[in-house]
Amino acid sequence: MNRPHRGCGSLSRRDMLRMGSLAPLGLGLTDLFRLQAASPKAVKAKAKSCILIWLDGGPSHLETFDLKPEAPAEVRGPFQAISSNVDGIRICELLANTAKICDKLAILRAMTSPLGEHGLANHYLMTGYKPSPVVQYPQYGSVVTHLRGANSVLPPFIAIPENRSSSAGFLGDTYEPFATRGDPSKPDFRVRDLDFFPGIDESRILRRRTYLAEFDRVQANIETRDLQSDSAFEKAYRLVTSENAKRAFDLAEEPTEVRARYGPRMLGQSCLLARRLIERGVPFVSVMNTGWDTHENLALQLRDGYSGAKVGVGLIPTFDQAFSALITDLSERNLLDDTLVIVMGEFGRTPKLNTRGGRDHWPRVFSTVLAGGGVAGGQVIGSSDRVGESPQDNPITPNDLACTIYTLLGIDPDLELHTPDGRPIRVNQGGKLIREIVRS
Amino acid sequence: MKTFAWFCLALGIEGSVQAVDFETEIMPVLTKAGCNSGACHGAAAGRGGFHLSLLGSNPAADYDAIVHELEGRRTNQAHPEKSLILAKPTGYLDHGGDVVLDEAGPGAKRLVDWIRSGVSRGTAKQLTTLRVEPSRFVAAAFPTTVSLKAMAIFDHGVPTDVSDLTLFSSADPAAVEIEEFEGNMVARIKRPGQHVVLARFLNRVVPIQLNVPLSDKAIDLSSQPRGNWIDEEILQLLSELRIPVSPPSSSNEWLRRVTLDLTGRLPEPSKVEEFVSQDSLDVRSGYVDALLASEAFSDYWTLKFSKLLRFHSLPNEKEGLQAYSDWLRGEIHNGTGLDRIAHQLLTATGDSHFVGPANFGRMVSDARDQAELVGQFFMGTKLGCANCHNHPLDKWTQDDYHGLAAVFSKLERGREVRLTSRGAVTNLRTSEPAVPRIPGFQDLDGPGDHRVAFADWLLSKDNRYFARATVNRLWQAMLGRGLVEPTDDLRDTNPPTHPELLHKLAENFVQSDYNIRHTLKNLAMSHTYARSGTILPGNASDDRFYSHAYGRELHSEVLLDAIADVTGVPSTFKGHVFGVRAVTILDPLEPVTALDILGRCTKAKGCDDNGVANGGLPAKLHLLNGDLLNRKLIDSDGRLNKLLEAGQSDETIVREFYIRAIGRNPTESESTHWCQQIMESDEKKRRDKMEDFVWSLLNSRTFLENH
Repeated sequence: MNRPHRGCGSLSRRDMLRMGSLAPLGLGLTDLFRLQAASPKAVKAKAKSCILIWLDGGPSHLETFDLKPEAPAEVRGPFQAISSNVDGIRICELLANTAKICDKLAILRAMTSPLGEHGLANHYLMTGYKPSPVVQYPQYGSVVTHLRGANSVLPPFIAIPENRSSSAGFLGDTYEPFATRGDPSKPDFRVRDLDFFPGIDESRILRRRTYLAEFDRVQANIETRDLQSDSAFEKAYRLVTSENAKRAFDLAEEPTEVRARYGPRMLGQSCLLARRLIERGVPFVSVMNTGWDTHENLALQLRDGYSGAKVGVGLIPTFDQAFSALITDLSERNLLDDTLVIVMGEFGRTPKLNTRGGRDHWPRVFSTVLAGGGVAGGQVIGSSDRVGESPQDNPITPNDLACTIYTLLGIDPDLELHTPDGRPIRVNQGGKLIREIVRS
Repeated sequence: MKTFAWFCLALGIEGSVQAVDFETEIMPVLTKAGCNSGACHGAAAGRGGFHLSLLGSNPAADYDAIVHELEGRRTNQAHPEKSLILAKPTGYLDHGGDVVLDEAGPGAKRLVDWIRSGVSRGTAKQLTTLRVEPSRFVAAAFPTTVSLKAMAIFDHGVPTDVSDLTLFSSADPAAVEIEEFEGNMVARIKRPGQHVVLARFLNRVVPIQLNVPLSDKAIDLSSQPRGNWIDEEILQLLSELRIPVSPPSSSNEWLRRVTLDLTGRLPEPSKVEEFVSQDSLDVRSGYVDALLASEAFSDYWTLKFSKLLRFHSLPNEKEGLQAYSDWLRGEIHNGTGLDRIAHQLLTATGDSHFVGPANFGRMVSDARDQAELVGQFFMGTKLGCANCHNHPLDKWTQDDYHGLAAVFSKLERGREVRLTSRGAVTNLRTSEPAVPRIPGFQDLDGPGDHRVAFADWLLSKDNRYFARATVNRLWQAMLGRGLVEPTDDLRDTNPPTHPELLHKLAENFVQSDYNIRHTLKNLAMSHTYARSGTILPGNASDDRFYSHAYGRELHSEVLLDAIADVTGVPSTFKGHVFGVRAVTILDPLEPVTALDILGRCTKAKGCDDNGVANGGLPAKLHLLNGDLLNRKLIDSDGRLNKLLEAGQSDETIVREFYIRAIGRNPTESESTHWCQQIMESDEKKRRDKMEDFVWSLLNSRTFLENH
């Protein structure tokens, strides 16, 4: 019983009426066309791949992209706002490098959700669907892989180092990410089981493949079936024997100055690895950075990293270096237009500092950042109120964000997926496209 | 009568003298037009400000929404055609759901009549039976059409033809399309195979099975051997569908298959030759009995049931799971009827560190979760949907769901599992405490342990929920596919491929006092089970009628044990004695790297599918480059090393691994092939080639699957 109905972002009768009534105010046909052009179906997707930087635990909006210098001290927090390379956009002083690339960023300051528990909120942000006891919704990377398929030797969805709080849901294990595990900043970083077992060289791998093909040929003969041409083994074989593919994981190939630019820590080197992967055609890479659940001593965790640090190596400076390097690097390599970069966590933090100098969970308003892949940079979309407590204008739900992300990735949000028991589920249900974000 | 009809027509009042009843005559119009489907106004939040109950499950609310809400604008008695309920679906007014109702059709006319005659609620009639004609159809030719009829029998009154008010829907519109042709409902069948059309009228759903031959040539299966009634049922459908039947598998293949299916192990090499040389029905029967009586059977089936029951350890409390595991294995080993096991699971209380079944309620987080587990395991049904709205595909209502949860709401789930006088769940529909209820049957008023009442009902003489769910799972375990798939989704709208067979299996199982060994033996001794996987022209695409055997991947635990057995190097698991088998590790939270990489059932996922938690690329990479297999191949105490050290010939070694891994000797040409491949004078190179040979054997489909 699939009745056609209005999908996310297309124009409703009310929209048309509203526009009609705006006509006397000078909103003419051109504007109408522009509005229509911003419906998901009309957006020409630019992004071919996506890097999702997940700040696990819920980054404080008040200490990153939505500072409130005018607010009372218990709201304001310890850090100052600085101006950026875009007039009127001010962000945290610890994001000094990011401030120089704000022309490439769209900062969403009025994200809002009712879910303030990590697990539930993760699910909402990573899928655009509120959790349901019945349906496990798939995360972005799984949907993209499911719809796009693999087009390189490398797995189509790679998680650095892993993906803890969301899954492929009803799409099934096939669309789970390939987890690199480990820490790319460590000199001995290796992806498990990618290197040959000691004593086994390529000639023996080749022999094993030949022998195996013989066994499988005999079995196919017995069953009088056609041989499976692209078995799971063949995928694994191609990966382990493709020096080029394996080299994607070898950060030692990068010039020292490039590695240094991303910073010595795990997040930076993970972002560098992500760039190497999308460069080789991997459609979706997620980078997880933990520790943002700053219930106490926020200055220490966000700025210093350890007590008595002379130069801050906390979460924000580490992020600042990694993220700005990634955007700059992608841009210099002409990859930014093809690559959507998403920065988000599951929620923001309470407007008032608590007695332990931290902030607690706050989903009612928080910030996310998008860049590249057809995103119109240099703008702030939406705002929070005076104390960063509630959205002030242009509130955006994770559902709206999902509609927008899928649209930017060239996936029709109205497309129906099916659970194993046949229940039809749209890629996105009822989200609104954030029109301002799409570069025309 | 006829004259009277003509008289009415002549006066132009077209039957408006007859009051139209809202529940039985108007609601079906809305259901049929799709108004109350989940994608439209039946969605939990409604659509466009208009909410109807999902598929008409709440007539009172729907009547209110249509007649009273929106200041009554949805119906307009002065100008019925201007009523929103008509003007929108017929397209006179802008409608987000487009035009769904033909303004000249009988549905629209009925709406007009009903509005004109005063939007009466009517007197509720109870639908006792919905009969469809045909209920099962075997096409002689293809393509073809079938006309579909539905008769409703109400508690008072004569049977009424409700074909035009019944929603006939095709599960697969690419195969079967429902059309209206000269006032009749017709199924146009566009593809051969087995198809299902569902007839929905009011709260009833009846499946119609349409079988269309896959070939235009009749086939004769009368000479096919029939071991028991299972074969009769299977062959009948195959012959209706004209699907040829593959030859029986070899003795070797059957032996490996049945040993893996019943015990999760490979056959002992010593047994193979003995069995093959004496193979007969009697020998098979004796062999199956021996398997069913073995310790390995108990281990393996304990693992299977533990997954269905969501076994897992609780933080800092290994004792509970230990007691639970010991109890379950004991009951399975002793051959306790599954009904008795069920009763204990449902009603046990006490110290969960000593009373095994008391842990049943500790594997879930709360009463609702327990209701879902009970529905899934004991009834083979997914109640979860009915938490937030009446189940769209099944008969379960929110009252059923929360009522079943209320049965378990007074259970305290600490170490000491006990019933308290407190505890309730809120029925999300009424926002009141839910009344304990046997789903789809009756409320449980009054005091007492409602769990006992539920268990007594579930296991009562005529109740087949548990038996059907169980035999379907046993069938899946042996044949590779359930008669209903998924096996935890038995409902009227998801009918079995072989309804009569499922019925007989369930009856037979109940008569055997819920003895799983009895049913498993029936399955194992059927000729259906003994068929080979060799495909014939005409049966390649068959994946549900059992014309040939379906290859199934080994479960991770079984695979891990099989690799250990073939290589002669037991796996080591932290915290377990050396040599313990992976199938005896029942706690999915116990860290076992190999199982995690190969893929295993986790509590969150539940594993009531084909059971293979596919580890995908990481699993393949691990077999290729990881230490699981590679280390066992080079182990100095391993089988390969011992054979090499004993100076065995290439031929002997090849044969030894063939028989252990795939349960047969290599053919002469295979033996020659491998001896030629491996022949090597250099000791080191010969060893390398041997390792590569065994590696390839253990990565081949022949080994990784049960054929």
